[in-house]
Amino acid sequence: MKELAGRLAALDPDAGAAMQVITYFDRLLEGRAGLAALVRGAAVLTGHPVRLADEPHRVFVRVDAEGRRMDGGGLPDPAWPSAPLEPDGPPALWLERPGPAGVVEAMVLERASAAIRTVLVRTRGWAHEAAPDQAMTEVLLDAAAPRGARLRAARRLGLDVAGRARAVALAGGAARVQAVDATRPDAVDAGDERAGIGPAVPVADLPESLAAARTALRFTAEGTDRDPGPRVVHADRLGGLAVLASAVGPDTEPVPDVRALERAVAAAPWMLVTLDAVATGSSLRAAAAAINVHHSTLQDRLAGAEHELGWSVHDPQGRLRLQLALALRRLHRTA
Amino acid sequence: MTPSSSSSRADRMPPPPFDPELAAALEVIREHVPPSIRLETLDTMRQLRRQLGPSDEDLRRDGAFDVTERRVPGPQGAPDVSLLICRPTGATAPLPAVYYVHGGGMIMGDNRTGIEEPLDWARELGLVLVSVEYRLAPDHPHPAPVEDCYAGLVWTAGNAAELGIDPDRLIVAGTSAGGGLAAALALMVRDRGGPTPAGQVLLCPMLDDRNETPSSHQMEGLGIWDRNSNDTGWTALLGESRGGPDVSPYAAPARAEDLSGLPPTFIDVGSAETFRDEDVAYATRIWQAGGQAELHVWPGGFHGFDMLAPHAALSQDARAARLRWLRRLLEG
Repeated sequence: MKELAGRLAALDPDAGAAMQVITYFDRLLEGRAGLAALVRGAAVLTGHPVRLADEPHRVFVRVDAEGRRMDGGGLPDPAWPSAPLEPDGPPALWLERPGPAGVVEAMVLERASAAIRTVLVRTRGWAHEAAPDQAMTEVLLDAAAPRGARLRAARRLGLDVAGRARAVALAGGAARVQAVDATRPDAVDAGDERAGIGPAVPVADLPESLAAARTALRFTAEGTDRDPGPRVVHADRLGGLAVLASAVGPDTEPVPDVRALERAVAAAPWMLVTLDAVATGSSLRAAAAAINVHHSTLQDRLAGAEHELGWSVHDPQGRLRLQLALALRRLHRTA
Repeated sequence: MTPSSSSSRADRMPPPPFDPELAAALEVIREHVPPSIRLETLDTMRQLRRQLGPSDEDLRRDGAFDVTERRVPGPQGAPDVSLLICRPTGATAPLPAVYYVHGGGMIMGDNRTGIEEPLDWARELGLVLVSVEYRLAPDHPHPAPVEDCYAGLVWTAGNAAELGIDPDRLIVAGTSAGGGLAAALALMVRDRGGPTPAGQVLLCPMLDDRNETPSSHQMEGLGIWDRNSNDTGWTALLGESRGGPDVSPYAAPARAEDLSGLPPTFIDVGSAETFRDEDVAYATRIWQAGGQAELHVWPGGFHGFDMLAPHAALSQDARAARLRWLRRLLEG
């Protein structure tokens, strides 16, 4: 990018260049550009070849000053300016020319390495866990592992150990870790997998987040007609329901409302999805729309349901009983 | 939904997103390249372009090319035309040649504008590069620019032996407004019985003065060379007659009724630019007329994206595709 690089070189480092470097990498991240685009950006903005050599993630990207991919190149020269991907990690991003880095070059290395870390966390830390990363994740989430080992695992996974993260519990006992973006602490990359989402905690406290995430997972459902309910449940939105989770499991005796609910569900194939819609809908009309039946059909069904249940679901108290019975029914099926 | 020739801003569809790498580059250069260019800002833009032009030293590429500037006869009763000629040093046999027409919206640029890439082709494939200087609108409206280009082409073909050019392998090429002029040259040569080019390379060409395609509406105020700039360029070239019933196909090749009998054609364009729809339509009409054309629409590309951000992956791929087409055409 001769034009872009030329303009930056001509700029006073104290004035516009800083803003432009920041803008460039911010936009790449916003556009969800990949690692190669970030390394290319560093190369063309500095006018020198740049390499990203990150052993833990098995990543190697090397481009020349025009942004063309190159392979090999031997070992990095320790005299080259470099940047780690995490504060006390080994150098990973190299500017291939003898140091020291100029003001703008140092800024490019800093912004590029931060952006690369973000992409690695996004692509490797969440969706596509490689096998060695899986082992690291297990250490990071293991309450019995020493704190030092957990923090080392966090660094290997590219997490900022001074930052926050949340655990995500998946069906079958699997778990993931998701870094929390400090500028968007409430954003959760939930996808559509059935998952319990743990609260955001300091990285060292992730085992606690996982415990809460597993509790949240027990409240999830397949989200189908046979098993209606939410596929994703956030631990920090459970409120008082979390208390029920510790009191109820597969071996506890169901309360009469749960037995009544089971009887009702056995009575008609539409029962469970209808009751779930009524329990979670903002009104009966909304519930009818959610399951695609006419309002009068819903009224007919509810007359039958209330007969089986033994209580009315038309008033708030009745709907609370129904919500609790549905939640308890899920909790009885998982430990 | 049927694309309407009279779609207004109110009913336009959202624009396709820019490629992330191009979007980042665009934001950094934003203040230097506004999406809308008007006549009032033309002087500033012309100055900026001049500063970016390569020197003779740049063009020689460490001795790889002999560089000469040659004045040749212009159209009847008009001044001479200046041709910039870059010839690989040491070559003895007649070489294929690219006759290049620069861009700049009919209102900017000179025969050094944007010739780095054609010079790359020349280096890679062993070509002579001839780049034509043509008079610019609004000082010199249609047909001055295209007739200058035509006069230069006729002279180049007629003096091929002296230039060391194989006249059977002379390709016309142009970028943006130059792409439109190169397309017009192919039409003029066909209609006037002039020197038939071996191919035409139309890079994001400016073809249609009507400026009413869905893409021209979609991209208003965005990217590079939006419909306001386009209006500026076409109005400078055509004045009152722009968009009217009497525009010559040699000014706006999209107006040609007949696109048969054209040489093999390469057309490329970005999906996020004003010219997308007119360029795709031009390729389609060449096929419909029984011609040969290769069309590339680069997703998320703004106008001239590979010149402003040549490092981007999309730019590298776009340039590689052009080189591959040229290699196929010339080497078979």
